[in-house]
Amino acid sequence: MKIAVCIKQVPTREWQPRLNDDKTWIREQDVSYEMNEPDAYALEEALRLREKHGGEVVVCSAGPARVQQVIREALARGADRALHVEDDGLGAADAFAIADALAGAMAGEKFDLVLTGLQSDDQGHAATGVVLAERLGMPHSTIIMEVQVSDGGLRIKRELEGGWFQWITMPLPALLTIQSGINQLRYATLKGIMAAKKKEITKVPVAAGVERVQQIAALAFPTKSKQTQMIAGSASEAAKELVRRLRDEARAL
Amino acid sequence: MQREQLEVDVLIVGGGPAGLSAALRLAQLQKQQGGEPLAIAVLEKAREAGAHSLSGAVLDPSTLRDLIPDFMAKGAPLAAEVHKDHVYFLTQSSKIPFPIIPPPLQNHGNYIISINRFVQWLASQVEAEGIDFFSGFPGQDILMDGARVLGVRTGDRGIGKHGEQRPNFEPGVDIVAKVTIFCDGVRGNLTKELHRRLQLGAGRQPEQFAVGLKELWELPKDRLAPGTVIHTMGYPLRHEEFGGAFMYAMPEGQLSLGFVVGLDYKDPMFDPHMAFNRFKQHPFVSQLLEGGQMIRYGAKALPEGGWNTIPRVYMDGGLIAGDAGGFMNSMRLKGIHLAMRTGMHAGEAAFEAIRAGDTSAASLKRYQDKIDNGPVKQELYPVRNVHQAFGHGLFPGLMYSGLALVTKGWWIQDPMRAEPGHEEMKTLARYYGSEQAAPAQASNTTLVDRKLTFDKLTNVHFSGTAHDEDQPAHLLVHTEVCHSICGNEYGHPCVRFCPAHVYEMVDDGQGGKRLQINASNCVHCKTCDIMDPYGVITWVPPEGGGGPQYNGM
Amino acid sequence: MILVIAEQREGKLNRASLETIAAAQQLAGSMPIKVAVLGATTGSVPADLASASVAEVLVGEHPALQPYTPDGFVMAVQALIEQQKPQIVALPHTYQTRDFAPQLAARMRRALITDVTGIKGSGATASFSRPMFQGKLTADVNPRGDAPHIVTFQIGAFRADAMQKGSSAAPVTKVDVAIDASKIRQKPEAPFQEAKAAVDLSQAERIVAVGRGIKSQDNLAIAEKLAKALGAEVAASRPICDNGWLPMERQIGSSGQTVAPKLYVALGISGAIQHLVGMKGSRTIVAINKDADAPIFEVADYGIVGDLFEIAPALTTELEKS
Repeated sequence: MKIAVCIKQVPTREWQPRLNDDKTWIREQDVSYEMNEPDAYALEEALRLREKHGGEVVVCSAGPARVQQVIREALARGADRALHVEDDGLGAADAFAIADALAGAMAGEKFDLVLTGLQSDDQGHAATGVVLAERLGMPHSTIIMEVQVSDGGLRIKRELEGGWFQWITMPLPALLTIQSGINQLRYATLKGIMAAKKKEITKVPVAAGVERVQQIAALAFPTKSKQTQMIAGSASEAAKELVRRLRDEARAL
Repeated sequence: MQREQLEVDVLIVGGGPAGLSAALRLAQLQKQQGGEPLAIAVLEKAREAGAHSLSGAVLDPSTLRDLIPDFMAKGAPLAAEVHKDHVYFLTQSSKIPFPIIPPPLQNHGNYIISINRFVQWLASQVEAEGIDFFSGFPGQDILMDGARVLGVRTGDRGIGKHGEQRPNFEPGVDIVAKVTIFCDGVRGNLTKELHRRLQLGAGRQPEQFAVGLKELWELPKDRLAPGTVIHTMGYPLRHEEFGGAFMYAMPEGQLSLGFVVGLDYKDPMFDPHMAFNRFKQHPFVSQLLEGGQMIRYGAKALPEGGWNTIPRVYMDGGLIAGDAGGFMNSMRLKGIHLAMRTGMHAGEAAFEAIRAGDTSAASLKRYQDKIDNGPVKQELYPVRNVHQAFGHGLFPGLMYSGLALVTKGWWIQDPMRAEPGHEEMKTLARYYGSEQAAPAQASNTTLVDRKLTFDKLTNVHFSGTAHDEDQPAHLLVHTEVCHSICGNEYGHPCVRFCPAHVYEMVDDGQGGKRLQINASNCVHCKTCDIMDPYGVITWVPPEGGGGPQYNGM
Repeated sequence: MILVIAEQREGKLNRASLETIAAAQQLAGSMPIKVAVLGATTGSVPADLASASVAEVLVGEHPALQPYTPDGFVMAVQALIEQQKPQIVALPHTYQTRDFAPQLAARMRRALITDVTGIKGSGATASFSRPMFQGKLTADVNPRGDAPHIVTFQIGAFRADAMQKGSSAAPVTKVDVAIDASKIRQKPEAPFQEAKAAVDLSQAERIVAVGRGIKSQDNLAIAEKLAKALGAEVAASRPICDNGWLPMERQIGSSGQTVAPKLYVALGISGAIQHLVGMKGSRTIVAINKDADAPIFEVADYGIVGDLFEIAPALTTELEKS
């Protein structure tokens, strides 16, 4: 099976946000990056499918030169080679621009299966994978918890809200967006890191016509415009007053 | 258990200034002299280069010029050239400028840097040479055969909280090398083990340490000119406490603010972090910080003891460089250029020894020769007794330091003696006259306003420190003193000297207290390993990749 | 005109659709609003929707729309859009919407903005607020390119009870949605329920969290009773989980879960920053702590300074009454 895994580089979870001067994007100085967590699970799933069914795993990533960090990590964990659509402008691009950029590089490869994380921890549009599927002409399914491959087809378990699930059958080639926690991530070993240096990373320029569909007018820290209301009185008085306000003011009950 | 083995020619443990300089020097020698290419690997416990690097810092660029002559063209991130030095003595409410800037604190020609960014840059130079840089891999154990260092075993990964193997368990790898260069930093866990096994400290003075707490602030851009260097002594430290503060102004309103305290204080109730808060409340400092924002916090120990405390740093198959060997000039408050210099010497010595086919201690002694005959001894020997002089008090220390500038360090008792710092701490009974007379322990959260001053837990949040939760605690406490005698004798000083709120005495549900170790708060400063008066705490590396994220520090 | 695509399953309306109508009403300005519902059969859903203050309810019924597939829905909604020519298409940001809306936008080459929590302005020039970087920042975003723009609204960001009702029922119109069933590539089986192995606090609508103030494991019962009365999940700050009083999956904070429920009640939690980053996005925060200076009060909407051992049971009693 020829499997593609789309991986995004995002700021780490511990990153303390700082804004750039015109407050339309983050300040990129002193940001630490890591592999988007759902994408790490997608990579692990791809590696397991290759172990089971043979083939190759190709990492695909779009972004500035710094995304080499996550590409190399993916290669160190066992991916075979990589496609890097390198462009500075893609660092802050929305899901559509990124999906178009990836599609331009991936179309010629004729992948059997494409896996992405269900959304990214930075912009969180939850759209890149699905848009990419449309561009590649593949059927898709989202928020996948389990993948079974059989002759030319897939049976996948999709997560619905509220503890509901659903099995779906689809033909290959197809694209799936993977839910976090679907498996246990493996570590990159020393030998894997050394071997990664010899693996091929093909740089692909951004195709013409890749456009953003949205523009960030302003980025800000979420403000709480409310005042804290302190409720006094005896325990039973305060309890009564609190319940009243929760029910009538806050409509939280 | 079956462990993989990796064979290299030179293994460098620690990807800080010392280790990276060793790696770079090896690559340079390789290019210059040709021959069979050497396999070189650098191990670094942090997730990425520089993540665990913390320092003031003002860099003496002399070593950088020798190692990378075209450092400017290569984009070395030197934040600002030093323009102005200030040294003050603080009283509770005022500041008294020193009549002259003491020569060791004259920084003309030096650069203010962020060591985190500097190390990232150095690491990129190393990787450009094709050297394997393994981040997220701590050195857990030394592989030895008798007195010969064979290499290092990396830490196991995927061990659960109770010691069980998780499904993704990955055993550590045995890396064997002809020469292992230990650059594992101040109180490095592997160097500490070498000390024990090979008696490296025999015939030397006991090592001495300090702890440095640092914050990175963002101030209004016109507050301090970039390149301004300020050092203070005095308030809030008493004469019996060694230390002082620094403030280094960088571009874009960024300020490195730090507080250093010797880990040889006598008062068991002393809390370095609280002292740091009091320092910030001094009107000189609080006015400087007005309207600013703390964006990062961290702490690290410093090797203060000087020349006479440096252990034997060469052995069969092994060398020690950088802070791990204690190569710091505590009078100038500078160690980065010495870490780089000893790293270079170690790289050269390893290269020469391997080419000569002899990596025994006798052959590797050439490393000590380079130290003795070069700029390292030249700089450190004349100030060899300075820290020990301060052990006698602030004024004796200042007087001796002044004298030492003229006499090149001569003293009646040479080397000047001092006890290991953690043995200086007095019991409550001896310091306060009675176990019960200890002052009511001010809560760590009092006198903080969370704008200028912070409690430890809030501060530690800004260190970016994170560890996988499902792993055993990496602070090993070897005895039951916490629950038996420590409370009465010292009042649980670990709760106070740890700058990261790792140690807590909590209700045990039966009317007493028990020690709780919040290991995931640890910022890897090594203070507890150094300062515990019973000497029963051992810091071991947590699972690779865990620890602080010192961006911009 | 704003076209709201309501969501239903087997004749039951997903209430998030009412939130979307409320959002559309805020966004509309002078534009009319139409609500569409799609499926094989839609039962009484159209009649429910007709009670809203909207111009028209459109019913698109087609056998190929049951079961739901992204291919089927994209064909149907695209056909509807080409018929109705709205300026804006509004949907609730449910798992189902996430499954087909990006495909719809990609196929039609129109802008899609997802997970919207706020609207600035109204009409065609409105901008949309959405969370970024795990809620650490909020972005104001403008769609680019031609109409229609497609917008999905975060569940719970707008209130279903804020939806204006119409003075009379809106007209309900059946519309043709041409679908080529042979082009549907997914074959779903019937949905089934499965108890998830771990508790997922991020899905809970209400949470009662306990901190050090609860003092002992035995006292957890007080929090559990309150949680039961509120229909809430029980969670905890770090020290409680470190003690083993509650499992790690119930921890809220920088080393645990990040949650943003409708209601968060913090009992005996001081509000260390490590905890706050995990819950300060909650819609309504109630804090009960005996320390008036506890940082938790800085993020609380309602605060009671007092003894939680008296106040929590009093709350439980009051809630059980009503």
